[in-house]
Amino acid sequence: MSRGRRIGATFRAALRAFVRRKTAVFFTFFFPVLLILIFGALVGTRPTGGGLFAREPAFYIPGYLAVVVVFTPLSRVGSTIARHRDGNRFEKLATTPLRRWEWLLAHTLVNVAIIGLAGLLLFVLVIAVTGATVVVGPALLALVPLVVVGVALFCGLGAILGRLADSQDGVIAASNSVALPVWVLSETFVPPSMLPAWFRPVTAFSPLTYFSRGVRTAAAGGDPTAPLLVLAALAAAFFAVGAAAVPRTE
Amino acid sequence: MTQGERHEREPLPRPPREPSGMAEAEALVAEDVRRQYGDVVALDGVSLSIPEGEVFGLVGPNGAGKTTLVRALTGTTRCEGTVRVLGVQPADVDDARVGLLPQSFHPADRLTARELVTYYAGLYDESRSVTGVLDDVGLSEDADTWYENLSGGQQRRACVGTALVNDPDVLFLDEPTTGIDPAGRRSLWRLIDDLAAGGTTVLLTSHSMSEVERLADRVGLLRDGRLVAVGSPESLIADHGGDSRLVVDAASPADREALAAALDAEVTEHDGRLAVRDVALADVGDVVSRLEAAGVDVESFEWSEPDLSDVYLRLTGESFVPTDVDAHPGVEREVEG
Repeated sequence: MSRGRRIGATFRAALRAFVRRKTAVFFTFFFPVLLILIFGALVGTRPTGGGLFAREPAFYIPGYLAVVVVFTPLSRVGSTIARHRDGNRFEKLATTPLRRWEWLLAHTLVNVAIIGLAGLLLFVLVIAVTGATVVVGPALLALVPLVVVGVALFCGLGAILGRLADSQDGVIAASNSVALPVWVLSETFVPPSMLPAWFRPVTAFSPLTYFSRGVRTAAAGGDPTAPLLVLAALAAAFFAVGAAAVPRTE
Repeated sequence: MTQGERHEREPLPRPPREPSGMAEAEALVAEDVRRQYGDVVALDGVSLSIPEGEVFGLVGPNGAGKTTLVRALTGTTRCEGTVRVLGVQPADVDDARVGLLPQSFHPADRLTARELVTYYAGLYDESRSVTGVLDDVGLSEDADTWYENLSGGQQRRACVGTALVNDPDVLFLDEPTTGIDPAGRRSLWRLIDDLAAGGTTVLLTSHSMSEVERLADRVGLLRDGRLVAVGSPESLIADHGGDSRLVVDAASPADREALAAALDAEVTEHDGRLAVRDVALADVGDVVSRLEAAGVDVESFEWSEPDLSDVYLRLTGESFVPTDVDAHPGVEREVEG
């Protein structure tokens, strides 16, 4: 009960603090929408013409969703940690019953709520704008745990970056440097067949690869259990390391 | 403290505290505590014991180690030596019994004062009424204003509120009144008095000597990571404060040597102001008369007893020469000449 109270209090405070930053809220939703409009509507897909969009529209659903699943938690959790550190908030929290993993869980839940909404918006837009087709059925519900687990994973990674970077600027630079290659090279926008043969095994080391595989499988009506389990195991590991990385002292 | 920096005026008298009638246990203990950051020694063998219910003031120059000592006692920094809070190591203490206001604490700025205090209240199984805490820190009327829209003093009071919300037995306040106006400061002083009267142990750091003199049962002075003096304000002033001082604003130039001979006392001069030490209050009129007889056109003068600022300056080795009539603290009397 008391643990739930602590996590709930932190969740409410963090959610309020976020939604009152109108610019942050706007761009959290606007950035992925902009990407869909550019890549989905303006560039479009050329399934037979090669180039960047060589596959059918549905192939790119994980890539669009990954925009919010990767970028948003990485930058938000990382910069939140930097702000907390700059304001000596962790020093104060260290003298309260709140534990580091509880703090990270509360902020992860905030990200799940925000990214869940953004992801839903993206999903609808991808279908409407790009003409991607999905198999509507029970498997599609697996998108929910895939997004939740993916967000938790990248919240953990964001906490690690927040700990390692010494400023908010550093967090933003680090999160972009990590997120961009992960986003592009995890079977999202670039099909493995387009990568050099020697590099293809490397994509298996990216957690986002399992998110992509899971989303693609679920959208096609298949069983995404295997990639979801791998993603969940990785998320648990990243969350644990991220929770340990949340600063407790100066 | 640097030359020319203004001190505060006379602190309000400290209200008497009723003895609890119980044997005093040690709320905070530090034994030979050391902390080093690279080559910089922040704490160099600090030993300290603070009984329950005491208000302990920690003073010292910037970089003396005050905040590091607070962090060592709260367990938020690693250190060598022994630290005990309420009889156990900081890591083992019941978090609900400790409150902390860190130095330079900046909470989320898009929360109202009420939401901020509510958040910290939510971290404890049992907490004080949020409305009561806001009343105590004088923020009832602005409770629903975003933190970023509060004045600096109101922000600091909101932060103090977050440290009180769990009704702690031991309260660490690292420069709690920084940026607070005099009225707000005195309001917080009364609050700390009330907490102390209720048995809360308070460790307070401050650069305001009048604040510490007003609030603290005992004062510890840190210099270069070492605790160079500990005692009640009165005992520290008696032991280290030095003599009373008469500072004279002279319209005409004075021959310091001649005055020293005439007064049979040491006279120092700075920017046209003359300072004479060890002058009894009853002798002030006589001294001024002798100054005027010696050809000094006295515009105004100020007599002051030694206080904690003098102790601070003497023990920290920092120099201070008064340059205006507000510069020296203590009991002041100023007469237009």
